[in-house]
Amino acid sequence: MAGKPLWRQAFDAVDRRVSGPVEAGARSDAFADALTVGWRLSRRMQREVERRTRHVLHLANLPTATDVRRLSEQVSALQRELRELQDRRP
Amino acid sequence: MSPSLAPADVRSRVERDVQRALQRGRNGLRYAAGTSRPKVGQTPKDVVWRRHKAELWRYRNDDVRLAPPVVIVHSLVSRSYVLDLYPGNSAVAFLLREGFDVFLLDWGVPDEADSGNTLETYADDGIPAAVAAACEAADTDEVTLLGYCFGGVLSLLSCARHPDMPVRNLVLMATPVDFTGMEAITSLVRDGRLDPEDIVEPAGNVPPEVVENAFRLLKPTAEVSQYATLWENLWNDEYMEGYQAMGQWTRDHVPFPGAAFRQTVEQLIRRNALMDGSLELGGRRVDLGAIRCPVLNVMAERDHIVPFAAAEPALALLGSGDADELRLAAGHVGLVAGRAAAKVTLPGIAGWIADHSEPV
Repeated sequence: MAGKPLWRQAFDAVDRRVSGPVEAGARSDAFADALTVGWRLSRRMQREVERRTRHVLHLANLPTATDVRRLSEQVSALQRELRELQDRRP
Repeated sequence: MSPSLAPADVRSRVERDVQRALQRGRNGLRYAAGTSRPKVGQTPKDVVWRRHKAELWRYRNDDVRLAPPVVIVHSLVSRSYVLDLYPGNSAVAFLLREGFDVFLLDWGVPDEADSGNTLETYADDGIPAAVAAACEAADTDEVTLLGYCFGGVLSLLSCARHPDMPVRNLVLMATPVDFTGMEAITSLVRDGRLDPEDIVEPAGNVPPEVVENAFRLLKPTAEVSQYATLWENLWNDEYMEGYQAMGQWTRDHVPFPGAAFRQTVEQLIRRNALMDGSLELGGRRVDLGAIRCPVLNVMAERDHIVPFAAAEPALALLGSGDADELRLAAGHVGLVAGRAAAKVTLPGIAGWIADHSEPV
């Protein structure tokens, strides 16, 4: 403590008082509930935005994120099949 | 004690402060511009085995004095370079200097094609094949298997499911077995607020930001204190090197393969199946009692990710007659990186492995 500058000593004193309650808050049921609601809402919003943009992009005959994802899923499925074949090779 | 007011002392303090202010300015600019990032994972190595994205690296060592070789199994959610951070701060380099032949099993960065990887993929395929490859490369019959964090869980599962695997010693570092002891990080999925399907992204994996934020929530104010410490030590080149390397690593997580995540939530977290012996993989029950080789369980006193309560019960679950515990004054990462690692933790771990090894 002796070698620490005054500003750091003051910072540490505040940190000691604040960090405990903040950590306890982050571990509370109320925070977990809030986080869950926030998480679900953001997922729902993401889906909604995707749904609406998909409609517009398809009108202009442009691929959407969902189309790219489907393609990517197909490529991954192919990759997995290739791996299985590779693994079976003596 | 108040500082001396003798003119010579005052002058030297002023000179020191001016010098530090200049260095602080220089390092601050470099930090902001990102031009002084240390190069990580620099210890020379060769890839001796590869399967899909997993690679087994053998670190070059012309002075191997102890056998069997040490095979390190890294976690699934972070980058393995934490074990070889930079010259002067590398667990791998420490083990090499101690005379070990060191291998590291790196799982790579999973993508959509790996989303179907299960715990069996790692425990039944990856680890046994990598151990066999290490034995072949080192021309030996056995290895010491060292699992860090979730890599320790995978090592436990692998050893339990493959008792014939040539593992002479098993070292578990910060390895959770009692997941009720990890309440803080698991509560959202344990209590059913969120299901794995809510977290797994469309590509099939858990995004790395989720893992990073989960760790961040354990100590929400830690980042602010780290910035204060950074300002205090901004003048110190050595500190800056370590800070930047660690900072890079803590923001550099990898996706958790979705299938393995679902198993982890359902079996390890919700059912705590390692503790009651009900864990089933591939339709077969996992019997940790089948592990009979010498085991060292290394735990860190200040580990907020895998606290004592989560790691401590491991030895009681195993069938080993030669089981030791090492409790070290360090944090989760401090076990393998930083000053405490070089002075306290790594010598303790290397000493135990050396006692369970033989001269070449």
